[in-house]
Amino acid sequence: MTDDHREIERIASMWLARRDAGGWSERQQIALDAWLGEAVAHRVAFLRLEAAWEEAARLKTFAAGDTGGHIPARGEWARSPYFASSTGSDDVVAGRGRIRHTTASPHRHWSLFAGIAASLLVVIVIAGGLAWRDYTHVERDAWRTLLGAQQVVQLPDGSTATLGSDTGLRMSFSRSERDLDLAQGEAFFDVAHDAARPFVVQAEGYRVTAVGTRFDVRRAPDEKLRVVVTRGLVRLQSMRDPEEAATMLPAGSIATIAGGNLLVQHLAVDEARERLSWRGGYAVFHGTPLADAVEEFNRYNPHKIVIADPSLDALRVGGHFRLDNSAAFVRLVQAVFPVQAEQRGDRIVLLRRAAGKAAD
Amino acid sequence: MRRDAAPIDKQRDETEHPFPHPRDVLDNVPRLFQDRPMGESVVDTWFVREVLAHEQALTRFLHRNWRDHDEVGDLRQEIYVRVYEAAMRQPPDSPKSFLFATARNLLADRVRRQRIVSITAVGDLEQLNVLQDELEPSRWLGGREALTRLARALDRLPDRCREVVWLRRVEDLPQKEIARRLGISEKTVEKHIAKGSRMMADHFHGELEAGAMRDKTRGALARIRKPT
Repeated sequence: MTDDHREIERIASMWLARRDAGGWSERQQIALDAWLGEAVAHRVAFLRLEAAWEEAARLKTFAAGDTGGHIPARGEWARSPYFASSTGSDDVVAGRGRIRHTTASPHRHWSLFAGIAASLLVVIVIAGGLAWRDYTHVERDAWRTLLGAQQVVQLPDGSTATLGSDTGLRMSFSRSERDLDLAQGEAFFDVAHDAARPFVVQAEGYRVTAVGTRFDVRRAPDEKLRVVVTRGLVRLQSMRDPEEAATMLPAGSIATIAGGNLLVQHLAVDEARERLSWRGGYAVFHGTPLADAVEEFNRYNPHKIVIADPSLDALRVGGHFRLDNSAAFVRLVQAVFPVQAEQRGDRIVLLRRAAGKAAD
Repeated sequence: MRRDAAPIDKQRDETEHPFPHPRDVLDNVPRLFQDRPMGESVVDTWFVREVLAHEQALTRFLHRNWRDHDEVGDLRQEIYVRVYEAAMRQPPDSPKSFLFATARNLLADRVRRQRIVSITAVGDLEQLNVLQDELEPSRWLGGREALTRLARALDRLPDRCREVVWLRRVEDLPQKEIARRLGISEKTVEKHIAKGSRMMADHFHGELEAGAMRDKTRGALARIRKPT
């Protein structure tokens, strides 16, 4: 019924690029019109690309006054005069120094020479300093989400991190490495490819390393750690025991670490991706033990669910649930299983229902 | 989709370029459709200004209300098709409400077709009608905001692609000249432009801002009972 939008977009973008190349003929225009007329989906896709493409010419604002050929570095925009707050330029300072020397001294020639030498030195030192600063520059940032919240973070290398509920993430990116520290909670990473700079997430004494992939790292209570890989390849390495061989996790892997033991499951990628449904605010369960399902809800809700009777842990639940609606989950569990829920303070306690009593 | 629908090879036919590229910084309102013949172009202009301007809100809405994020692109396209087709008959008075009404209907259709019948629990369907928090000034009005988004969109392109887009859109170099300067083939430049235009469109129109996933309008679509 629907054509895959990516395929339509791909063809639309080929048309746009071809037209943009110049030498566009009447015949080509007729062919383009025919393609646009073939389906409304073609037309809207083309309009959408064209609108953004035309808008992109507004970036000229940033190039104003700049001589041709200089392409600003990523993020240089922030320093553009357009966004004010530009800092003074160092060469201007050096230049002023020289002028002062040449005019103030009685020994003109000597001091002119000294002045030039000094200013050259100043320029060299500043240039060297700038180069060194660029070389050793480390970009740092940190984010924190509240209970029940999520946040999508754009990282400076083009990667994105999606932070789950109650999550803390610290970033420190240098020229040689992209380091992230998952202080708590869970985050999903869509990593921009950069073979020269490994992308490393540290958590619970492990390093999870990727070069251009998608994966999720979750810290759970009791020092548990879970890594889900949905694309590419990820390397898992213990930091406590460097002797321990690294584990390679291809797409579809779910690695669980608890009490120093590592368990790796290999699933179909779609199945693995279901574990990441939290990004849409959902939990998807298929024959999931009740204890695990409860843990999932407790990550998102202030009212913690507690299973008081360990014999309930192993009950299996399935379905799709809104993570922020644990009340609905508890209602359904009561309806389906011999379980009774009691509100005790801010906790919801699940007990085994006495035999003979039916759910209401 | 047929592959043979792809562009035919360019001819060295020096007819006048039917869509001249603006050589200057554009005004706040895109001028690109002004020179088109009447008819569909009216709907095109309407679509770009009144519908595409809400893509960010729409994308956020879809992410919030549809659990499979990989399907958001397809859903968005189908919503655009429905909206565009409706506008060809009669442009709606309030494009934004119409856009979101269409989105809600489409999601509801999809859910019904999917028949999720295991325990399926979600929030309140009625909440879907509350969209006040989606009301924000149209993007075309905010020049600075648009520029920020463009800069960010550009920064998210891969290196080479970013260079090509910059040289083409900002420095106005012809594709041929870009190829010469970067020492790559014209075909490769064209490919970078194609890819760049797609990525720019995604990031410029639909970029999701931080913290977009959960607010007042909690998603609540899939609460479906089997038809009785």
